[in-house]
Amino acid sequence: MASRPAHSIWGRKIVEYDLLFDCVHCGLCLEACPTYAISRAEMDSPRGRIYLMKALAEGRLDLDSDAVRHLDACLGCRGCETACPSGVHYGRLIEDTRSYIEGNYRRETPDLLRRGLISAIFPYPARLRILISPLRLIERAGLRPLLNRMMPRSIRSWLELLPPLASTQTSASISSPAPSSSAQTVVVHHGCVAQVLARSEIANAEALLARAGYRVIHLDRTICCGALDLHSGNRARALDFARANVRALAASGANAIVSTASGCSTAIAEYGMLLKDDDHELSEKARLVASRVTDLSNLLLKRLPMPRSFSCTVTYHDACHLAHGLGVRDAPRELLRSIPGLKLVEMVDADMCCGSAGSYNLTEPEMANALARRKADSTIATRADYVVLANPGCEFQIASELRRRGSNIRVMHLADFLAMAIRTSDE
Amino acid sequence: MRHDMQSPRRMIESSFMDAGADGSAQVDKELIAALGKIVGDGGLVSRLSELKVYECDGWTIEKSAPDLIVMPRSTEQTSAVLRTLWDRGIAFVPRGAGTGLSGGALPVNAPVMICTSRMNRIIAVDSADRRAVVESGVVNLRVSDAAREHGLFYAPDPSSQQACTIGGNIAENSGGPHTLKYGVTTNHVLGITLVLPDGEIVELGGAAEELCGYDLVGAVVGAEGTVGIVTRAILRLIRTPQAHRTFLVTFEDVESATRAVSAIIASGIVPGAIEMMDQLIVHAVEDAFHVGLPASAGAVLIVELDGLAAALDDQARTIAAIARGAGATEVRLAASDAERGALWKARKRAFGAVGRLAPNYATQDGVVPRTRLPDILRVINEVSGKYQLAIGNVFHAGDGNIHPIILYDERIPEQVRGAIDAGREILAACVAMGGSLTGEHGIGVEKQGEMPLLFSPGDLIAMAELRHVFDPAERSNPNKIIPSAGSCVEVAAPHRQVPI
Repeated sequence: MASRPAHSIWGRKIVEYDLLFDCVHCGLCLEACPTYAISRAEMDSPRGRIYLMKALAEGRLDLDSDAVRHLDACLGCRGCETACPSGVHYGRLIEDTRSYIEGNYRRETPDLLRRGLISAIFPYPARLRILISPLRLIERAGLRPLLNRMMPRSIRSWLELLPPLASTQTSASISSPAPSSSAQTVVVHHGCVAQVLARSEIANAEALLARAGYRVIHLDRTICCGALDLHSGNRARALDFARANVRALAASGANAIVSTASGCSTAIAEYGMLLKDDDHELSEKARLVASRVTDLSNLLLKRLPMPRSFSCTVTYHDACHLAHGLGVRDAPRELLRSIPGLKLVEMVDADMCCGSAGSYNLTEPEMANALARRKADSTIATRADYVVLANPGCEFQIASELRRRGSNIRVMHLADFLAMAIRTSDE
Repeated sequence: MRHDMQSPRRMIESSFMDAGADGSAQVDKELIAALGKIVGDGGLVSRLSELKVYECDGWTIEKSAPDLIVMPRSTEQTSAVLRTLWDRGIAFVPRGAGTGLSGGALPVNAPVMICTSRMNRIIAVDSADRRAVVESGVVNLRVSDAAREHGLFYAPDPSSQQACTIGGNIAENSGGPHTLKYGVTTNHVLGITLVLPDGEIVELGGAAEELCGYDLVGAVVGAEGTVGIVTRAILRLIRTPQAHRTFLVTFEDVESATRAVSAIIASGIVPGAIEMMDQLIVHAVEDAFHVGLPASAGAVLIVELDGLAAALDDQARTIAAIARGAGATEVRLAASDAERGALWKARKRAFGAVGRLAPNYATQDGVVPRTRLPDILRVINEVSGKYQLAIGNVFHAGDGNIHPIILYDERIPEQVRGAIDAGREILAACVAMGGSLTGEHGIGVEKQGEMPLLFSPGDLIAMAELRHVFDPAERSNPNKIIPSAGSCVEVAAPHRQVPI
């Protein structure tokens, strides 16, 4: 048998060439892809994007605005990985492709500015706090609606995504017993945007874990997990963030690592792969840290003392990386079902992306809004009182669309919802 | 049936007047503008990098990109688009989700592709009469999803059902594991809306169970898009079985598994499905999905009974006894719905799982009488050795529909050629054993060359004449099914470029 060329002889090193051949072009991913669901055109499907990557790698296609547009349009939700029978590592392919695009393609100025702004602010909580502090004042004065109206459309859509800032100040709403000395230890990774805009989620997650008998270790500094950078092609900084996190998390000695943002927990769960070429000590630590990542729901299931009763109808939205990255689907649902009086109703396509996808809703607003509308449609159709989910980005995105429609359905993070149910039942 | 029987005759006459227009006229700016007016600019794909994505479907051995793709949103838009193409003498190729395995959606002298993906509305689910009215771009599984709350489902369940469209299923007359009991697509399509190549909209069949006259719906189902574009269908829905019993049965070799299949059928029990996987597939599937398939098995069967719960336990005992009698080393009954689901997921994703073993594969599709399964597997084994290509086998054993999966690497030209030749030899053997060239994937471009093995020149002429009733000028998916365009007595390889 003749040997085959190990890599593309035309030499555009865009991704690991052999990985492209995991895709057998069967098309089973199409219907699982949110962007294909909206556009119904195959350039916006995983199979189509892989085809573009291959054509780029083989030099059969120029890296022009057409190709970049369709690769940019990918949410990175990895719904296709769940659907794929051939085990294509789509997440790696799209991350590497984006890294290549950022290094080799000249974007238009407005696009560059937008991306630069996100990259300069979001990973740094202190900067984000400063940026939104005037907004807090405006909100307290009741002037946010006015501000929104005054802004040009591009900025207005960003503002509308922000949750009411008063809600982001909440601390834990339930008390917890002191842990026993033999308790398993857990770290809740605070991340970046979440520790500014989703503080109650983090505080409640820690309180719930304590209530379930874990000893919660508070880390002074956990920083951005690097997912934002990985997904937007800034690999070098992502690696720096990852290394810092690995050192801090390994030093904490925690048995389990969770994040209230499932995009972050998935990123940390892949540190082993990400840092595999670092020096032995760090790559080993990265592997160890990665292996300890789990989800809050897994830790709470069967251990959290549940409220006596909480009567309501709930629908559950699968955050992409929780379902497709960590494969966590049943535990959050089981937790919800174990609350007496609670009725769980499934929505159509619960595991299809809501369009939030990290900073996607800020860079690709049109597609993001179309997906938010779709998600709101399926949420409203359930007639639920609450839509519960486990990622702040989805929370802001879905809440923003439901607000726009004047819907009464409340959007809550699982941690906030459980804390509320317990508090209400205890009262 | 509102079909105006004058119209085919009128069309044949007009085709004679049109003689000379071979459908290969060019796509130009004027045409793009005209079609853009009908479907909107967002409904057209005309940029080179975007067209490339559509240069093949699930049959990846041959590639050819269209010059223009049109994505209409309704029957009316489709009609206006086809009328425009007709007036200009331009041929077209239909495409749904592009999951086909015989190159049915490959453009061969068809500059324009009509993609049905945007016609994806489920128009009605009628639970009392057990019908669904859907547009042709609706994904197969979505029909069952919509029917579930009424306790109904859509029976044809091809392995690609999570992505393939009803329109594509109608074109290929698709089957799936459960065809053994429920039949293939043609048994579940009651009526269709067809847009003829000149843009005329015709309704064939209807919601009623029995219609008189010629079965024109039957002529369109399985026509592989060569008679126009189906935009809508009335589908039959089936009551969801009250209960299932799903077995995983292990055998040391394919022969004993085949004996078991024949014995089960002979017992009078009609299982919902009897699926077989050989050793290579079992390994691949287990590596990929970890569902607990026995690694040492020479072959495994998935046997599924469905129906009234009260009757199933007796039948299950009979099946288990028959399997053991045929030499089964293990008979395992799925203990829960989750276990059953995992088994089917593994089976339906077997093709992709095999894809993990090699960069490319070609899924063959042939039929032999059930009792000849061991013979055809011996042939496949010889062919595998001859071409030095690994071949796995997963098939609908109950109806003798085999799917040899030929592994190759598209970067090695002799492997590509070998994969094509190996497939041909296997199909020739199927026909020699009294079987057929395809159970459910269609002829497409893949098996045109083999049609004369099964059909006489007279047969092929008759088929072409039937097609000409709908499409006299051969504008809809030209150069498919029947070898060579124009003259159906010419049996040489069709005129097309094979990029090897």
